[in-house]
Amino acid sequence: MIFLIFKRILLGLITLFIVSLITFAGVEVLPGDACTTYLEREAYGAALEACYQRLGLNVPAYERYLSWAYGVIQGDFGYSLSGEMKINDVLGPRVKNSMVLASASILIGIPIALLLGIITALWRDKFPDIVISTITIFSMTIPEFISATLLILIVAIWLEWLPGIVIVPTGASISELLPNIILPVIAISMIMTAHMARMVRSSVIQVMSSDYVQMAILKGVPYWKMVFKHVLPNALLPAINVVALTIAWLLGGVVVTEVVFNYPGLGRLVIESISNRDLPVVQALAIILASIYVGINLLADLMTLMLNPRLKSLQIKK
Amino acid sequence: MKYMLKVFSATLVSLILSFSIANASSGVFKLSHDLGFGKDTNLDAITKGRLFQVVIMTQNRLVRKNLDGVTSPELATEWSANADATEWTFKLRKGIYFHDGSAFDAPDVKYSLERVKDPDIGSPAKKSMSSVTDIEIVDAHTVKMKLNTSFADFPLLLTDYRLRMIPEGSGDTIGQTGIGTGPFMVDKFDPEGTTVLKANPEYWEGAPGVAEVHVIAIPDGEARVQALLTGQIDMNRYVPFSQKRIFDNNPKFNVSVVPTGNWRGMVMRTDTAPFDNPKVRKAVRLAVDRQELVDLVMGGAATVSCDTPVAPSDQYRLKMDCPQNVSKAKNLLREAGYPNGISMTIHVSTKEPTWPTIAEVMQQQLAKANIKADIKMTPSKSYWKETWMKKAVAMTRWNERPADSILHEAYHSGAKWNESFYKSSSFDKNLADARGQLDFNKRKAAYQNAQKTLWEETGTMIPYHVSKLVITSSRVKDLDDVEVFSIQWHKLKVD
Repeated sequence: MIFLIFKRILLGLITLFIVSLITFAGVEVLPGDACTTYLEREAYGAALEACYQRLGLNVPAYERYLSWAYGVIQGDFGYSLSGEMKINDVLGPRVKNSMVLASASILIGIPIALLLGIITALWRDKFPDIVISTITIFSMTIPEFISATLLILIVAIWLEWLPGIVIVPTGASISELLPNIILPVIAISMIMTAHMARMVRSSVIQVMSSDYVQMAILKGVPYWKMVFKHVLPNALLPAINVVALTIAWLLGGVVVTEVVFNYPGLGRLVIESISNRDLPVVQALAIILASIYVGINLLADLMTLMLNPRLKSLQIKK
Repeated sequence: MKYMLKVFSATLVSLILSFSIANASSGVFKLSHDLGFGKDTNLDAITKGRLFQVVIMTQNRLVRKNLDGVTSPELATEWSANADATEWTFKLRKGIYFHDGSAFDAPDVKYSLERVKDPDIGSPAKKSMSSVTDIEIVDAHTVKMKLNTSFADFPLLLTDYRLRMIPEGSGDTIGQTGIGTGPFMVDKFDPEGTTVLKANPEYWEGAPGVAEVHVIAIPDGEARVQALLTGQIDMNRYVPFSQKRIFDNNPKFNVSVVPTGNWRGMVMRTDTAPFDNPKVRKAVRLAVDRQELVDLVMGGAATVSCDTPVAPSDQYRLKMDCPQNVSKAKNLLREAGYPNGISMTIHVSTKEPTWPTIAEVMQQQLAKANIKADIKMTPSKSYWKETWMKKAVAMTRWNERPADSILHEAYHSGAKWNESFYKSSSFDKNLADARGQLDFNKRKAAYQNAQKTLWEETGTMIPYHVSKLVITSSRVKDLDDVEVFSIQWHKLKVD
């Protein structure tokens, strides 16, 4: 068991190392560099030289990678393009904002998804299933930039109930953020809930048709007792991995939603720094987002491992 | 009687009240910026990361440009030159105070303008001040600027939107405070969130009409349009023309199209065959249908230019027609020794989103004159370093500058950014004559002669100057219908 955990962590670190290499190499092979993009037509002579000096671009690539990686290991991502802002200071509030949005969506979305998934599975092919499944498939297939824009059009422009886009100070407190994130949370929850409900539905259906459930039915176990005691614990276990992926997606991947609603989170920062060609920040974001995915997946694997008696015993037998 | 007196005094009080309310600043005007400089955004007008939407409201220049492109006084009240226009004396406005309470006087001017030339700051505005060799404080309200060349239109250079007056010695803090003498004062600077400006009740042109201005960071263009639609901002100067229809005939919004001096163009290097022959260059330029480019690329929202870089609103702009003339273009090519036409490769990138479109339209137009144009896409990231001024034919774009600046910067034989490698002694001489000529009409003639020379010889094809779509909420009143740097912000009101 401990060996397995250790192996997983090692694999995660190797993944991160490869991601860091790819990001760095990707930035290297692009034509031009941080200085020529920053200075535009001014990129010649003394100004260019000074910029290279400031960003340390005048040393060989492998040296730069090593010193960059050394900094990252210590949690220091260096300075943004102009060399005036510490990337850590930039990231702090953005990470917090993304966490607020993610937590709100998770708190609302996951219970709804579980409920819908279980209902549709238990009443499979009956009226509730047909209605809910149609709606979930519908909201799954509409891309978020369309559903988000439609939400703004209907709720903010026609009905004038809520502000359309999020306008908050960078370091806004949670109480300042909450009233502003209703529309983004709805837009995210629509897709997230639909995906998860579908997963839960098929997982519950699978367990319901398994031999031991059939056996329990034959033995006369009361229906609801069987659902709660035998079906759900087994059906929801695979959902942990789905939830983990969803959390990772929420923290870094809701780029489109954040941009459409002008939400100052990590996703918008990705777009901003790419369009500003702020490569040091792009590099830092790539590593952070990769770490989030690797870390949360690792956590989910370990949780499944611990909760699933079969996997545990398998390891012990070995 | 007592009752009458009561009524009378009540009326009087309410009258006084309503008067003072009418005169006081009220309401909030909200606009957005695109956070185009990300983490570098600051309030120091002369740096690259300046948040100009704030600076133009909090700080003044010495000289401004009125709506006809003519200079008029701002913090300088009058100015005069010596006989050969190499020394300029500016009288400063008296009784002006910065937002921190300090008085505005000559040392502030010297400090503010000399900072522009500071190599450590590396200001993009330094070209405007490059001819100034010395700024002398004559007395508290008079400064004398010495130039290394004759320059009759020197005051026009001082209208550069970046040359703002700040308190002496404030260079280290100005990027955060934005202190100036302008109609609005910075209350809270939050480049990634909402920057709040408060009305300056002591503003020398009168208290502003609005109490607060909010400058809100909205990096995404679509989100800015949404914010305008939902009433979260009151003005958007970045709406693409394709979205004009949303706002047309909508009583909640005012739509206006403002001409600017910003232009796009195609540069043929005049030192590279076959474009080293002026006839070939003119043939290519004659084969272009500019009006069609305006209609197809810009949806009509641009002013046709006959290869002059001088803005449509500039007092020195040469006004002429230049319709497409395919037969003349073919004749010129024949005279130049290319009876079967020429072929060329136009280098474009998405650095400017309209470049590829312009090139595609021109490809069709040029074909009629036996000019075969291929279009080559190059990486936008390294465009200015690897493509522009390197390839024989490449696209370019410039923002509005005074006539003298743009003619010098892009065409003078000694200019660093002479992108077409154009060398003409008669053109250079016209520019020098204009600079030394204190008589306006003679000066105008010299600048226009320079533009005529360009039409005959230039390697830079400039089809049009773009217009800007400005959409405001209908609650906004008295917003000048001009480019953003000439707006008189204190006059603005909101319902």
